Amino acid sequence: MDGPGDASRSNDAPAAELLGVSKAFFGVLANDRIDLDLRHGEVHALLGENGAGKSTLCSILAGLYKPDAGEILIDGIPQTFHSPRNALAAGVGMVYQHFRLVDTFTVAESLALGHPDASFRLSPRRLELEAASLCDRFGIQLDPQARIWELSVGEQQRVEILKLLHRDVRILILDEPTAVLTTQEAEALFRAVRAIRLEGKSVVFVSHKLREILAVADRVTVLRAGKRVGQTSTANADPAHLARLMVAREFAMPELQEHSTSGEVALVADGLVVAGERGNRAVRDFSLQVRSGEIVGIAGIAGNGQRELSEALAGLRRVESGRIVLNGRDVTLANPMERIRHGLGYVPEDRLEMGVAAGLPLEDNLVLKSYRTRRFSRGPILSSKAVRAWSTDLSERFDIRGVRDGMPVSLLSGGNLQRTILARELSQRPQVLIAASPTRGLDLAAVEGVRRHLLEQRAQGTAILLISEDLEELQALSDRILVLYEGSIVGEVSPGGLDDEQVGLMMAGHLRQTPD
Amino acid sequence: MVGRRLVVERRGTPSLRARILFPLGSVLGAGIIGGLFLLAAGHDPLEAYRIVLQSGFGSDLTWVRTLISATPLILTGIAVAVAFRMKIWNIGGEGQLLVGAIAASGMAIALGDSVPSFLVITASLAAGCIAGAFWASLAAFPRAYLHTDEVISTLMLNFVGLYLMNYLIFGSISPWRDREALSFPRGRLIPVGAELPQIWMRLSLGLPIAIAVALLLWWILRSSRWGFEIRVIGDSPLTGRYAGMSVPRTIISVLLVSGGIAGLAGAILVTGSTHSLAPGSLAVGLGYTGIVVAAVSRFNPVAVIPVAVLVAGLSNAGSSLQVLGVPSEIVVLLQGLILLLVAAAEFLRDNRVRLVSREDELETQAP
Repeated sequence: MDGPGDASRSNDAPAAELLGVSKAFFGVLANDRIDLDLRHGEVHALLGENGAGKSTLCSILAGLYKPDAGEILIDGIPQTFHSPRNALAAGVGMVYQHFRLVDTFTVAESLALGHPDASFRLSPRRLELEAASLCDRFGIQLDPQARIWELSVGEQQRVEILKLLHRDVRILILDEPTAVLTTQEAEALFRAVRAIRLEGKSVVFVSHKLREILAVADRVTVLRAGKRVGQTSTANADPAHLARLMVAREFAMPELQEHSTSGEVALVADGLVVAGERGNRAVRDFSLQVRSGEIVGIAGIAGNGQRELSEALAGLRRVESGRIVLNGRDVTLANPMERIRHGLGYVPEDRLEMGVAAGLPLEDNLVLKSYRTRRFSRGPILSSKAVRAWSTDLSERFDIRGVRDGMPVSLLSGGNLQRTILARELSQRPQVLIAASPTRGLDLAAVEGVRRHLLEQRAQGTAILLISEDLEELQALSDRILVLYEGSIVGEVSPGGLDDEQVGLMMAGHLRQTPD
Repeated sequence: MVGRRLVVERRGTPSLRARILFPLGSVLGAGIIGGLFLLAAGHDPLEAYRIVLQSGFGSDLTWVRTLISATPLILTGIAVAVAFRMKIWNIGGEGQLLVGAIAASGMAIALGDSVPSFLVITASLAAGCIAGAFWASLAAFPRAYLHTDEVISTLMLNFVGLYLMNYLIFGSISPWRDREALSFPRGRLIPVGAELPQIWMRLSLGLPIAIAVALLLWWILRSSRWGFEIRVIGDSPLTGRYAGMSVPRTIISVLLVSGGIAGLAGAILVTGSTHSLAPGSLAVGLGYTGIVVAAVSRFNPVAVIPVAVLVAGLSNAGSSLQVLGVPSEIVVLLQGLILLLVAAAEFLRDNRVRLVSREDELETQAP
């Protein structure tokens, strides 16, 4: 497994080449015969929606996954990577979305982490000098003596990049690097990327934000559902065309669309401002109304405030300012239980962490919100008989399978887990339902079931807020669609006249208007 | 780099038989390993075990001694078990026990002989409970609302409780101190009416009370809404919040109950065996041993009962071994081995461990 480190570098061979790379997980093709060539001194963007196969492709190039089929060539020489270590030896390094740093190390010490030439005795002084000179060379702002835990997320990312530069990689892979950055930090990153490129190194830049790609990349390859669907140089790229390539799709599951007259306004959000984990304003000046018997879709790429919005509506996250009205009652300050009592159902995005108590059996999870009612308890005592009967009943009605007695629900399949959550939420007969990415990661049959339940619920007069990244789903289910970008609504479209291109541009922050 | 690796998978819920056989096997295994140590040290393990069994459980007299020692351990064991059900570590059983003993003896002395025995006993036990709960609340409120680490706060309060008791007996002329004891300070005897009735030789009513508390709590945890909330929040506080439960309120209630039970242990010690606030017999680490008892019984309040008896018997046997030239530390060694093996056995009971190649493993980790 010799690295080609000192092999002759012919300039006509691309820095890296992937030929017909395929990779399947559990029978689902994440990468389907993808070709990619990466030139010397080029920033090459990978564009695509979540689940398009970008991360998988990067992980293959970085040696984390082995492709099922296909070839990897570095500087024209075929390579077989058994681990990221091999890839690094060949000059390929990747900055993952989750950093791999040790909190108590300094920036300089981090350089020695995993370095093959690191000697037993480290010289902190030498490492600091090396770190400082690298920072200088690539215009990266970092204090070599700072400890990792003292650094912001953006600075930690710079440490990861610095580590790879210190290892002298010639191909740097950045997996969604801007997802965690502020605008200013992103600008700094772009400057560093340009400096890296000037030295003849190549950068693979993964993103779903068109604006960034056009700003920083030389060429862009578009992936959709595991396939390569286009490639172009950014100089003559048409943003609209790229947006369409990214989101276009076949219609597999058309449903519904004959409208019942929607009723009273059941859910109002008025000028909501909600803080995110990092103290940033994840939701800003967000307003909407949802009527009974109406499904309002929220389109947008993950990380644009969806989580914070749904948690604020459910009472799990404090609202900085603004108002939430549920069935005519102001519940801005109400706790989750009061909102549940006032008819709010919530299918959270995070099924295992929030949607269920993963270590408890099915019957406990099915009464998570109703165990206080007279149906299940006599005073302070729960009736396990009533709970079990209810569980049997719901399992049948919602077709929850694979349950053994006393088995923790964490062992259920994704589809059955989501059926469990839906069964609990819908059996409460909610007047307002928030459904966050309700079909993500589910197989087709489960997706169909979830959609059917949502439509039934709509027919029964529930006001539904459907938050999803899946445009096709939003189109099939929603009465109207709002597009969310960086915490506020940048446009409203009607599902009938949905223009993929326009929505794609709005989701990527490239367009801000209300066409209808 | 392609290699093989151990992978751990969860099994389904273990059967009742597995839940009983695995711990019993662990105790047996501990005996075998401990025997090897004895053999290596030049002692006859069979003889040593015979003596351990005889001096722990050999006669009525030793049984009474063992059960008397087991009574407070049952209670401190449950106290730890209840809190741990919600992943709350109450390390403060020791302090809560001592404060409970102070309150119970104080109440008994204050009421004196003029009040009917039944009332004095009830009031003393209640005072112990309340004091223990109060002591736990000092850690509970900061834990619930400010997320302070309960391990630190409950642990530190143990020392405050200990020095409070020492002050009452050694550092001041308090109502708890026996004024007639001139040579060495000691606690004042509680009135005879406050003593718990004895049911078998010196064994007091404390044991049935402790057993009743264990059974009651087992049932409450299993069947009540409160127990349900503890299960859910113990599994995932986020899910508890999502389901509309008040996580802070549940944390506080759990710690109050836990402290109250540890306080009751102190009250029963004073009214059932020491009959005075006796620092030498009270501050012997019963709160800490309770943690071991709870851990070995895997935080099940009913399993706490036999485990407490076993631990108490082994401890009592230790001193008899010394007489015969076998180091009494073998008993501590056995206790440690049992704890270790029970934890290991539980892991094997709940998980299947198998070898897989690296490739398969990568795939199972993928999204």
